[in-house]
Amino acid sequence: MTAHAHPVPVPAVGWVRLARRVLGAVGVGMLAYGVVRLLLVAPLPDLFHLLLWLVSALVVHDGLLSPVALALGATLGRWVPDRARTYLQGGLVAGAMITAVAIPLIYLEGSQPPEKALLLQRYGLNLTVLLALVAAVSLALYALRVARDRRSDPAAGPLADEDRRVR
Amino acid sequence: MPEPRSPAARPRWWPHFSSTLRATAVTARLGRVLGIAIAICFVTGLLSEKQYHPLTWLPWPATPVWIYRVTQGVHVLVGTACIPLVLVKLWSVYPNLWRFPPLASVRNALERASVAVLVAATLVQLVTGFINSLDWYPFGFYFVDVHHYLAWVVTGSVVLHVAVKLPEIVHGLRTRVADDDVLTEVPPEEHSLDDAGGAPEPVLAPATPGLSRRGVLVAAGAGIGVVVLTTAGQSVTPLEPVGLLAMRQWHRGPQGVPVNRTAEGAQVVDLAQDPGWSLQVDGTSSFRLGIADLEPAATAEGRFPIACVEGWSVGASWRGLRLIDLVRRAGGDASSTVLLESLEPFGLYRTSTIAGPQLVAALLATHLNGRRLDVDHGYPLRLIAPDRAGVLNTKWLSRLEVR
Repeated sequence: MTAHAHPVPVPAVGWVRLARRVLGAVGVGMLAYGVVRLLLVAPLPDLFHLLLWLVSALVVHDGLLSPVALALGATLGRWVPDRARTYLQGGLVAGAMITAVAIPLIYLEGSQPPEKALLLQRYGLNLTVLLALVAAVSLALYALRVARDRRSDPAAGPLADEDRRVR
Repeated sequence: MPEPRSPAARPRWWPHFSSTLRATAVTARLGRVLGIAIAICFVTGLLSEKQYHPLTWLPWPATPVWIYRVTQGVHVLVGTACIPLVLVKLWSVYPNLWRFPPLASVRNALERASVAVLVAATLVQLVTGFINSLDWYPFGFYFVDVHHYLAWVVTGSVVLHVAVKLPEIVHGLRTRVADDDVLTEVPPEEHSLDDAGGAPEPVLAPATPGLSRRGVLVAAGAGIGVVVLTTAGQSVTPLEPVGLLAMRQWHRGPQGVPVNRTAEGAQVVDLAQDPGWSLQVDGTSSFRLGIADLEPAATAEGRFPIACVEGWSVGASWRGLRLIDLVRRAGGDASSTVLLESLEPFGLYRTSTIAGPQLVAALLATHLNGRRLDVDHGYPLRLIAPDRAGVLNTKWLSRLEVR
């Protein structure tokens, strides 16, 4: 652990202030162009459905996915010792990244005519293979860590985890 | 280990974030990657849009033949990788949603509204883009227009967000990941107003029992790396063997090339296989080609990929008639514009127009990879040109109009 300072607001030096103004103007311009074009081009029912998608995205992400992920993290923090948790968390994060992309594939597999060569794989099986790979790598890293800890402090033994929990 | 200081005003039931993993330094690094990725998607997306609405003064080129394959492959691959990436980025700032008090000022309310627009538009853009590439259209809106203009909303919001957060970004990128203060629902200004309200003094870097902050970045990066490796096979041919999450597999298509619109889906199975088929070419001197005229004339060859707007692509060998030869015979030349019409009775892409470098390079193909075209690939005759989006390579041709 090293010493550090609280975040000090970055002084409003010349280039930061200028960059903020320029970026702000460009951003607002692009944003406004997109919104205006959408309003002009898309028919009313399309706009209504788009609004529905936008609101649902916020509700599902902020109200459902995030709380579930945080609750899982809190549960792990309570029940799994720190040393093991490091590798369990790492594996879960990597696995979640892969699963996020795999879910639509699993849901839609086999939905297309075979000539399209589209969604013909067994994605449920493939995801299982990838997650098993992630689990194997996480376990191997954990085993290495345990072995290394033993070598550096043979007396600590299996109690090392307990020590780390109370910090 | 310093406890996150709590502002007294917060009610007990208000969410309290205790994880020490989040920090501006972590968010800034995730945001840097995500911002670059979104910029790549925006630029490649606009390029692709110019396939459908070409600029008359700057037509799409036809050489090198892999341009569209690369730009659109990158667009879909990077967009796919953004889905997990944006989830981690949002995880890193989730406590900001629960800042207390929720609306401190008008400026604060505006900032929150702009973040809501940014988050909603980005999530919808990435998710609908991905499922559109799976040929699933549960949108309730016309995808092409919405994807095009929502891209401006997303990118504009990102640029605005960078402007608003620039001081934090500068701080975050200048601070080591492990050293930065914990990001919680308590704003950093309140952190420094702690206790006696004195000047902030150096404190120890926050402890992160379990996974470290760098560990989060490494684990997320590894997961996203796996996603890229296992989905890229649909456009990066050598990666197909590890394409466990690839949506298209080129080798499973007829003649080793996938199909986007099947003959059955286009309702042309009988029309295309009618022995009385002919191609009408209209120009200053119109003429007609019958099915028996095709094979003897099909001597031009080309090797270039077919690349779809959905991201998949594969190299292929084509044989057929040079379109420019027919255009000249009909009284046109390299400066002509040609309208191509399909046998398809309906559909957004039953016609297309071609001009400029692509017109000169285009083939009316009869053969694919050494064999007569499969009916799903556009038998008896289809357009194919390098650097031209898949759906614009009109299949089952019935008429050309040289203008």
